[in-house]
Amino acid sequence: MKKMKRVLIVDDAAFVRLTIRTMLEKNGYEVVGEANDGNVAVSKYMELRPDFMTLDITMPNMDGIETLKAIRNLDKNAVVIMVSALGQERYIKDAVINGAKYFLVKPFKEENVIETIQKIVGA
Amino acid sequence: MEPMLEMFIFETNQNLEQLELITMNSEKNGTFSSEEINDIFRIMHTIKGSSAMMLVNEVATLAHSIEDIFFYMRENKPENVECSTLTDIILDSADFIKEEISKLEAGKLADASASLLSESTKVFLTELKVSNGDIAQEKTPKKPAKNQQYYIAAEKTSDEAEELNVFYAVIKYKENCEMENIRAYTVMNSMQDVVKEIYCLPDNILEDDDTAFEIRKNGFNIWFTTKKSYEEIHNLLEKTIFLQELTVKQLAGVEECDFWPVKKAVIKEVVLDDVPVKPILVAKKSEGHDAHQTMISVNVDKLDVLMDLVGELVIAEAMVTQNPELAGLELKSFHKASRQLKKISSELQDGVMSIRMVPLSGTFQKMNRIVRDMSKKLNKQVELVLVGEETEVDKNVIEHISDPLMHLIRNSLDHGIEVPEERVKNGKNTIGKITLEAKNAGNEVVINIVDDGQGLNRDKILKRARENNLIYKSEAELTDKEIYSFIFAPGFSTKEKVTEFSGRGVGMDVVMKNINAVGGTILVNSEPGKGSIITLKIPLTLAIIAGMTVKVGNASYTIPIVSIRESFRPIEQNIIHDPDGSEMIMVRGQCYPIVRLHKIYNISTEVTDFTKGIIIMVETEKMTIGIFADQLIGQQQIVVKPVPIYIKNISSIAGITGCTLLGDGNISLILDAVGLMSKI
Amino acid sequence: MAKDINDFYEEDTQKGKFLTFGIGREVYGLEISVVTEIISIQKITEMPEVPEYIKGIINLRGKIIPVMDVRLRFKKAFREYNERTCIIVVQMHELAIGFIVDDVSEVIFMEDDQIVAKPDIKSAQNQYIKNIGKVGDEIKLILDCEKMLDADDEVFLMELK
Repeated sequence: MKKMKRVLIVDDAAFVRLTIRTMLEKNGYEVVGEANDGNVAVSKYMELRPDFMTLDITMPNMDGIETLKAIRNLDKNAVVIMVSALGQERYIKDAVINGAKYFLVKPFKEENVIETIQKIVGA
Repeated sequence: MEPMLEMFIFETNQNLEQLELITMNSEKNGTFSSEEINDIFRIMHTIKGSSAMMLVNEVATLAHSIEDIFFYMRENKPENVECSTLTDIILDSADFIKEEISKLEAGKLADASASLLSESTKVFLTELKVSNGDIAQEKTPKKPAKNQQYYIAAEKTSDEAEELNVFYAVIKYKENCEMENIRAYTVMNSMQDVVKEIYCLPDNILEDDDTAFEIRKNGFNIWFTTKKSYEEIHNLLEKTIFLQELTVKQLAGVEECDFWPVKKAVIKEVVLDDVPVKPILVAKKSEGHDAHQTMISVNVDKLDVLMDLVGELVIAEAMVTQNPELAGLELKSFHKASRQLKKISSELQDGVMSIRMVPLSGTFQKMNRIVRDMSKKLNKQVELVLVGEETEVDKNVIEHISDPLMHLIRNSLDHGIEVPEERVKNGKNTIGKITLEAKNAGNEVVINIVDDGQGLNRDKILKRARENNLIYKSEAELTDKEIYSFIFAPGFSTKEKVTEFSGRGVGMDVVMKNINAVGGTILVNSEPGKGSIITLKIPLTLAIIAGMTVKVGNASYTIPIVSIRESFRPIEQNIIHDPDGSEMIMVRGQCYPIVRLHKIYNISTEVTDFTKGIIIMVETEKMTIGIFADQLIGQQQIVVKPVPIYIKNISSIAGITGCTLLGDGNISLILDAVGLMSKI
Repeated sequence: MAKDINDFYEEDTQKGKFLTFGIGREVYGLEISVVTEIISIQKITEMPEVPEYIKGIINLRGKIIPVMDVRLRFKKAFREYNERTCIIVVQMHELAIGFIVDDVSEVIFMEDDQIVAKPDIKSAQNQYIKNIGKVGDEIKLILDCEKMLDADDEVFLMELK
């Protein structure tokens, strides 16, 4: 059997984490961890070394862009999918300028999320 | 309920609570700190996102419009902010969202319209911008200059002799993928490594968000030179996310390009922030990280099931260890083993109880909002001081005391605290003070509501009590405390004017009833001109209590141990028979009324002579009575189960607060001393 | 998914089925969908201050439910309980209650056209009858459960809903 892709979900809202987790697990991804802020995300990333991670942009303490930078600094090949809401173009731009390659826009549609992820890391 | 919905409700409520706290704090300080702005922004952002996902669109829209305000405040740091108007907007919105969420919780549709609120929010934002002179600049967002250059940038100096291919590609995105311009930018980014030069149309994709519509309509056009082959380029662009349609054309040369500026070229690297980020905060890990991981949220239903099971276990244990078939047997090791069993099950019981314990802080914090709203409306200035919020009580108990507390606070504010002018006249601080204090005392929690208002009017209360025939002994014998307690009697109110918040005469007696329902008591004391203090004593838990079971005929009744003072078999000399037929018992020179259980509950028993049965002295705040029963059965931990709702609805069942299962599977009714007093 | 099918199936098989029981010479029917179980008479704990037809409460495997004597509810004479006496446990709107009946007969099936409106007569029991089923020559009086539970002021079931 093919090895499942491993993902770390980072979002301060448990509801969003649950939404993403549900979608991904349904589509054959292995959620190896969740984090609710940037600091936890960075240490979890180093510990778990997931194939990719979803990263919320607006979070308390260390926000998504800071987190992205920190993770990129440790692992320049890290596959990070930024998550932000409609109307937050500004943050996504910041993220993209800071090296984010991919992003998802809330509210999610399952097919959009899965399509994005499949394109990035494969099924 | 669907877990997703459940999570949504839970989290949104939590966020709203936090929102209220922050907002009221800002209101108190008359300004929003940058941290508070950030927090509110984030909360509204989260609520917006999750409600949009749950298709609660009105809430999403409202949250969005508030988020906009705080986005503006965060970015532009305006100096003139109408703090109190803004807090009103936030709190009103929080109320609206709360209402909608509670509808969802009740399985209804969240269908109210937030358009009025959203509108006033937008108006506020516009006014905020105008008053801070930002409205004109609105259209041209400030951008840090150094980022301007990131893609139409420095000249490429290499002049490699290699043959370059020229391509033109059009990327069309799928419908609804949103933010096409930023997606286009990521394409530009991913092409950087393979192209020599690249140009795009529209070209100002990062600065101008309206280009998203253009790309949506006409596609994103790129022209570039590269060493890669058609196939390689095609494959690369195929990977574009949300790609609807891709056209790649190889051109003969740059002159065929419709858009090929002469001098401009593209930088190869993505501009990263100049400041290198320090390698991580791993050291911090243990603080935040672990704290979050060790907490889990559990559905209360599951705890209730667990609690029920422990209850069953306690009963089953009694059925085994007190089994009548064991009587008279020599059972040394059995008793040892059953003691061990008892120890474990009681530890288990403590453990489960402790899971159910939650701090009072949530309930206490809610009072902030009430004090705020009421003082605004009544033109009073009141400070609420919370003490001992961390005190924990059973989840069930919290639910029962929240409303009474709210009522008592309202009452203190409405009737106790004077208007500022009057306070000044009486030499008091203009700001009134209400203290809400909780502390543990054995198996009980004591909650004090203290105000420094005008105090209770003894004479007025006495007069009203007289009018309503509430006085049960001679007036001269009444203590002040007893007189003040009349305010909790049904149908009592000394307030001439009925206000919006309290003073309808219903209410205080409902408070009493609610508190009694959880086995609690209320005491009131007051000093004219100085203030009043109301003390609630609440049992820590409702679910398992220590009870004394007694027998009357074939029926069993259980009395909570906390209310029992003593029990004894009376002697004839101490019984007093009134001419009007009531009976009393003399204990150490004091006379107390007796309640015959068999008589009030109409049970046939052979034990009707006091000297053949037993009298249990039961104490409440108000008075002490003697309960007459056939015999004591014994003391045990009992699991309180509610009286079936059907019975409750067709009968007043005065004097009975619940039922419990005994070790033999029989049901015993739990007596409530306060209710029994009404039987005298 | 499997669960949904089962629910559907169950719903379907319950339709038109009635549990019949006797009070004196009459046979009554109760929609099977509200019945959760039938138990023999057991020890009843009396409650104070309830109408005569509420005999008290029983312990049903740790759950405490009220029991109603259907005879007394119909204002018929009380009859001592014996080994044929049964308690039919009914669940409606989150509320469980036991009906004490003389005996339980069987589960029967009736088509819609076998069920007719009740005659318009005034009697103590008629108000608790929803309609009438006819099986051959026999008459089954179909019980109106909600009416059975209505207190005399008829308010609380409304609240429950």
